[in-house]
Amino acid sequence: MNEREHEARRDELAAYLLGALDPGEAAELERHLAGCEECRTELTWLRPAVQTLPESVERVEPPAELRTRIMAEVEADAQPKQAGIHLSWKKRLPALRPAIGLAVVAFFAAAVAGYAIRDAGGGGNATTVAAGHAPGVTAKMVREGDTGTLRLANVHRLPRGEVLQAWVRRGKRIESAKSLFVPNRDGTATAVIDDMQGVNAVMVTTEPRGGSKYPTSKPIVAVAIPR
Amino acid sequence: MPLISEKDAGAFEVFYDRHGAAAYSLAYRIVGERAAAEDVTQEAFVSIWRSGGRFDRARGSVRSWTLGIVRNRAIDLLRTRSSRTPKLGFDDEAALEQRPSGDLTDQEALRRETAEEVRGALGALPGEQSKVIELAYFGGFSQSEIAEMLSLPLGTVKGRMRLGLEKIRGRLAEELA
Repeated sequence: MNEREHEARRDELAAYLLGALDPGEAAELERHLAGCEECRTELTWLRPAVQTLPESVERVEPPAELRTRIMAEVEADAQPKQAGIHLSWKKRLPALRPAIGLAVVAFFAAAVAGYAIRDAGGGGNATTVAAGHAPGVTAKMVREGDTGTLRLANVHRLPRGEVLQAWVRRGKRIESAKSLFVPNRDGTATAVIDDMQGVNAVMVTTEPRGGSKYPTSKPIVAVAIPR
Repeated sequence: MPLISEKDAGAFEVFYDRHGAAAYSLAYRIVGERAAAEDVTQEAFVSIWRSGGRFDRARGSVRSWTLGIVRNRAIDLLRTRSSRTPKLGFDDEAALEQRPSGDLTDQEALRRETAEEVRGALGALPGEQSKVIELAYFGGFSQSEIAEMLSLPLGTVKGRMRLGLEKIRGRLAEELA
């Protein structure tokens, strides 16, 4: 390595730290760095200057929803830290196939029956329905026009690899509401139902990550929708 | 970080609360849109969660490692949108390798720096130097692209980058003294 080449490489240290070298240039510099202590020392000295750059950015507060979304993904991926904190009452049903769809309807109807239903009279098209549930999960369904928002509370942490899935019943048909979600750390969870037209009831089951075509477990909550 | 590598969601929540705002601010500075900045921040933090065990304290501070990942993702998004050929991919681990540990004493000092003081160091540079640094770091442009954009010889761009970083570094050293 002659002095001229050394100086040329040394001149690229700043661009390297700033991520401004093309891959080939960066690879050549890294080869040089492996054998040049002087350049390694300068690189180490300069690095803190680059590390200040992101701190120089004007602070913009992220929306609270971003934290909720990130933690939802994290919680869904987290391993349960203690035995028994999952939904202990839950008993897996065998996978339900279309051929036994009627049985699902019957099960769903039974799950909905008996829940106290209250029209809170929120004014306009908004309707609030309250429902209790034996393991302590409570639900509030707010309907506004064709959109519904289901808010759950007291939901326990899910086992790893499982998510909550919302379902709707229209007449005798059970359909996925295309809403997968996970509980927050405080036990709350929210699902949005995009199309509430003709929906008689909404329920939530735990399903494998990615969701299921048909409910494969007992609902943790089911809410009848008043006409 | 050890707790995060053990998939402790509570520890990750604390981690997000500590670095989330800085990460989002950096992403917003680079991509210029709130929705895109949210996506970048979310992708970066979820990737950190999933690869938390890879962090090596000897390679640098958690904060600079985190912000480096956010910066790479934001720049990658910029390049995808503008159809520029990405120089950096989603290989955060490679980025990590390129950012080995600096002087830990300096890193402690950097943590104590307020944003305004740091902005002062960048703002105190001659415009020609801060411009090439900002184009590279926040714009994701290569030195060749910057030279072409500003109609400058490549050697001039390299020199301005180097002089600019040396001045920032010198100012940090004075504050540490």
